[in-house]
Amino acid sequence: MSLKIQSNFNDEGNQWEIKAIGDVDISTAPKLRDCLDAALQDKKANIVLHLEELNYIDSTGLGVIIGTMGKMKEYENQIMLVNPKENIKKLLNITSLDRILCPKI
Amino acid sequence: MTDILKFSIPGKPEYVGTVRLAVSSLANCAGFDIEAVEDIKVAVSEACTNVVCHGKSNRDDCYEVACEISEERIIILVIDRAGGYDMSQYQRPVMDNPKEGGLGIFIIKALMDEVDIFSELGMGTSIKMVKYLNRL
Repeated sequence: MSLKIQSNFNDEGNQWEIKAIGDVDISTAPKLRDCLDAALQDKKANIVLHLEELNYIDSTGLGVIIGTMGKMKEYENQIMLVNPKENIKKLLNITSLDRILCPKI
Repeated sequence: MTDILKFSIPGKPEYVGTVRLAVSSLANCAGFDIEAVEDIKVAVSEACTNVVCHGKSNRDDCYEVACEISEERIIILVIDRAGGYDMSQYQRPVMDNPKEGGLGIFIIKALMDEVDIFSELGMGTSIKMVKYLNRL
């Protein structure tokens, strides 16, 4: 059970490109929160969270994303999830978070 | 034939993943398809996360996960002595205005065929989850 995060700022698109690899659960959610907080502290911009290599996320991970979305609202920035796997898509769908977080699904 | 397996787990975040793997392996062996195994895995993980997150007991205290496997279903019980909570305070999440917490129980109920939660304030909580094999 581990989580790796690659975080890059895309100057051209003026947005964060953050890739989560592995599992986000109660033990790794703080790492995701720290990374998202650090990015926004560095530069206030939209965040694109790439999920193609994310195998698992639970309510604590979704909670971190919801919390980040709330913090970003103040600056009118958005967080967007792209390329979730089927199992994660299902979770986003039953919680209806896909409507707010995944414009491309 | 019914088999019962019991695990006793310290209430620490790092072991929730271990329970998840163990139970999904059991569900897989019991003949559930990939999507159902995934549902069971997420539901059990959410139930354990609830104990670890909201429990008031010492993290060294153990909670119990019991799995009852038969030909037609799997029953999973997650039982803790972590202080319990007042079930009447539970609010179904409002998805147009999502909050950070409160998603766990909602997700469990959406993924499993039957869910019963018993909680006694000052004592503990038990979550019983059932998934049927071959239910369309």
